Amino acid sequence: MPNFASASTPSPMSRRLFLSTTGALSLGAALTACGGGDSGGSSAAAKPVAQADIDKAMKTPTELTFWTWVPNIAKEVALFEKKYPAVKIKVVNAGQGTPQYTKLRTALKAGSGAPDMVQIEYQAIPTFTITNSLLDLRPYGASALKSTFVDWTWGQVSGTDGEIWAIPQDTGPMGMLYRKDIFDKHGIEVPTTWDEFAAAARKLHKADPDVYLTNLAANQVAAWHGLLWQAGAKPYATSGKSDITISVDDAVSRKLGAYWGGLAKEGVIGVEPDFTDSWYAALNKGKYATWITAAWGPVFLSGSAKATAGKWRAAPLPQWDTAKPSSGNWGGSTTAVIRSTKNPIAAAVFAQFLNSDPASAKMFATEQFFFPATKALLTDAEFVGDAPSFYGGQKVNQVFADVSSTVNSSFQWPPFLDQAATDWTETVGKSLADHTDTVRALGSWQSRLTTYAKNQGFTVKGG
Amino acid sequence: MTTTTPPATTAPKATAAEPTPRRTRHRSRRSTPLTIAMLAALGYFLLPLCWLLIASTKSTQDLFNSFGLWFSHAPQLLTNVKETFTQDDGVFVHWLLNTALYAVVSALGAALLAAAGGYGFAKFRFRGDRLAFNLVLGAVMVPTTALAIPTYLLFAKAGLVNTPWAIILPSLVNPFGLYLMRIYAADAVPDSLLEAARIDGAGEARIFFRIALRLLGPGLVTVLLFTLVATWNNYFLPLIMLNDPNLYPITVGLASWAAQAQNGGAGASSDMLALVVTGSLLSIVPLVVAFLMLQRYWQSGLAAGGVKQ
Amino acid sequence: MSAVRRRRMAGPLFVAPFLTLFLLLFLAPLGYAAYLSLFQNRLIGGNVFVGLDNYTQALGDPQLLHGVGRVALFFVIQVPLMLLLALLFALALDSGLLRLARLIRLGIFVPYAVPSVVAALMWGYLYGPDFGPFAQLSHDLGLPAPDFLSDGWMLGSLANIVTWEFVGYNMIILYAALRTIPQELYEAAAMDGAGAWRIAWSVKLPALKPALLLTLLFSVIGSFQLFNEPNLLMKIAPDVISSSYTANLYAYSLAFTGQQVNYAATVSFLLGLVIVFASYAVLLTANRRRTP
Repeated sequence: MPNFASASTPSPMSRRLFLSTTGALSLGAALTACGGGDSGGSSAAAKPVAQADIDKAMKTPTELTFWTWVPNIAKEVALFEKKYPAVKIKVVNAGQGTPQYTKLRTALKAGSGAPDMVQIEYQAIPTFTITNSLLDLRPYGASALKSTFVDWTWGQVSGTDGEIWAIPQDTGPMGMLYRKDIFDKHGIEVPTTWDEFAAAARKLHKADPDVYLTNLAANQVAAWHGLLWQAGAKPYATSGKSDITISVDDAVSRKLGAYWGGLAKEGVIGVEPDFTDSWYAALNKGKYATWITAAWGPVFLSGSAKATAGKWRAAPLPQWDTAKPSSGNWGGSTTAVIRSTKNPIAAAVFAQFLNSDPASAKMFATEQFFFPATKALLTDAEFVGDAPSFYGGQKVNQVFADVSSTVNSSFQWPPFLDQAATDWTETVGKSLADHTDTVRALGSWQSRLTTYAKNQGFTVKGG
Repeated sequence: MTTTTPPATTAPKATAAEPTPRRTRHRSRRSTPLTIAMLAALGYFLLPLCWLLIASTKSTQDLFNSFGLWFSHAPQLLTNVKETFTQDDGVFVHWLLNTALYAVVSALGAALLAAAGGYGFAKFRFRGDRLAFNLVLGAVMVPTTALAIPTYLLFAKAGLVNTPWAIILPSLVNPFGLYLMRIYAADAVPDSLLEAARIDGAGEARIFFRIALRLLGPGLVTVLLFTLVATWNNYFLPLIMLNDPNLYPITVGLASWAAQAQNGGAGASSDMLALVVTGSLLSIVPLVVAFLMLQRYWQSGLAAGGVKQ
Repeated sequence: MSAVRRRRMAGPLFVAPFLTLFLLLFLAPLGYAAYLSLFQNRLIGGNVFVGLDNYTQALGDPQLLHGVGRVALFFVIQVPLMLLLALLFALALDSGLLRLARLIRLGIFVPYAVPSVVAALMWGYLYGPDFGPFAQLSHDLGLPAPDFLSDGWMLGSLANIVTWEFVGYNMIILYAALRTIPQELYEAAAMDGAGAWRIAWSVKLPALKPALLLTLLFSVIGSFQLFNEPNLLMKIAPDVISSSYTANLYAYSLAFTGQQVNYAATVSFLLGLVIVFASYAVLLTANRRRTP
């Protein structure tokens, strides 16, 4: 018989209090036995929620809050609300990327104000699974969606114990957009290897000192990570609950550091921060002959560099090894459910519907011009057949769709992405901007991250 | 607690609460060189604002392609203004109204609290009054970042995060307002007047509201105006306290639009830049107009004060 | 209740609303921050009491020391310059020698009404190394364009923005003080045959000393707490303005980027101490100079 000493009062225990206390205690005992505590991650067996319960939940009037920065997402949300009229979605734009993650973390820490569903980019997922903030979607039928999505995206949203933390929404396989007119003017062939790229950079800048082959932004850690990804690096690896391997200055990284640092030092590439006024102006005025970007780049460029319409073309990234073409990913988001939501079933169904329902997924491609994460759309004739005039009628989507299949599936992100990003900008990024030794900067980045991880209680295995 | 730079304070002089009469100018000569020098200085201060005005007439593409300090070939100020007001379902109007609400309510509240507090410290002696006053003054030296997260956590527990109260309540505490009002009350409200009123049988509250407040007028207006500006321009506090864009003040709102243009990735668009620029222009106009219209009051409020030794 | 009793209670009652809010909104979070600074909340391991470890770490943290050093340098350069300008402007306006005095006074004050978000936007554009107007003009004139956003220039560029924003505000304070100098002093000086410069030196400056002290104190606090402008310029010069560029910015980055809320609280407290010391140093120096 449980000990009621703490709950007992001088007056006789009422029957109701007795029952409720027993109930609470036994429930607590059951939960502990199941191992559903905090630092444990998922429970041993993800028991599926019964379909009947799901149906019932979807018919109960509910209001869910969804944090997302996707513009005009009301259209896709409307599709969901049409199918499940009892569930209303409140869309809030709490910031784009890092600012939203900061707000989310603060809200989670405070215990109130967090939404039910949230847009999370692939690279940010481990940052929220380490704090156990996301809901495992397996019990809600998410496993069935595996074949709908491109393999490497599924790898990105899966946890170490097989959990499914989020549903992919869009992707950003990396490629290269180039100015055909500038290439033609200076007799430059489209580079297919990085060596050719370096030679082209030197040739172009010598011929025209006002033009650079490309700009590797000294503040864009995402591009760097994407290039590491392409080169087959594995800078971060988590195992177990608290082991992490950090190897941001391993052989592959150093190869990249020497390559890009060298080009920056020679002064044949630009290194200014991207997405600033100055950078937009530069693109419009033809200061950069290529833009190493992702699959969302073409649409973005056509909206931001209207002065250069018709002059751009798309191509895959130059390769380190032409026998095994590969690429990385830059950007793209998923929809995840916050663990503390009061309506897990409805939220999980929403996350799945939003991104896997064919009509909704297609809308992301046609309305917001996102690059799809579903296999179906990547082979959809209408999508890949699109031939925008900004790119001289080239089937740009087809180029990136082909690239998408070369993105390798085993790249992992650290559980403290924002810190990694800031440290990169202050070490490696700064070395690019200041034309100093990038390989040494990589060492600084490594030591900063290692110190940080250790301070945060991880067991760090260096690379 | 206002989290921006503290407002101006000048202590009233012992003499009067009315503006001292202007000195008669014995010399009627004006110095042209000095005027020119000062006009050059004026040019420096107005240059960025000129840029803002000119830039607001340009489309985003023209912002990149035309010379910064002169107009483009196709000015479109009205189009920009219209788009600014209609973007995101007219959220810009919300931002303006929010800013006005937070600023006005905070200013009124802060002025009243500072007046009551300053009056209390100046005209009454009680145990711990010195300690309390110095504690308040010392508060200004604490960096805002020290308080940001703890305040957020406390507010979250009280359920006030993401509400207007999260902005208004901290703005009501204005240590320099208290300092100013205390000095002002000490000089502008003669003890003899208070004694006379007490002898007549008036209660303390009545004395304060009917007599003291009137005498404290110019100081009140000063505190009010400077709290208004501080809250209007506050960026850091609303940035961390508010999640819902419909509650943003204009500073955070404009920064969020700027961020949309400055972050890469899907969903980014440089089109926001023209709106950010136009929105910035529109956000300055109300305050500048208010200052212009009210300059008689705040200048007399400051001028009526002097500086106490 | 007797009138005397009422009067004795009135003082506390009048200050109560202010002090209550002060307690809730300032002292309570401050106390909580102090409490936080004694712990570490780690991603693995959760909340751990560490006593003064955070403080020892902070005192040896090169990023913090550089950040404090930088704002100290900023203070030493920007504040005297800004106050000197404010003084000169105030004297010029008060001298009666200016035409269009009202317009000039208002124009210099207007930047105070501009939020720092907008100020950073405007100056960020003007500073642009390729497409900003200054750069373009230099390019057209064939001169090398100064890179306002580079390492060497950045502190100066920030100082420029802060000066632009606050000269008018300080000028108004000084001007208001000048306006209250009693007529008799001028008449006496005029009878002694003093010219304009002599009057400025002997009559106006002494009367301004308390106001100058006030503006100086505000500036001490403001410059050591420098945050808004570097934070907003970080976007366009991310390799120059690191996350620890100023001490306050460091505290912010620690809390919001690095999720090291406890260490951030520690850094903030230490910065607060620095500000207190600096303020008292300023006060002591000023008072010592005043007593003959």
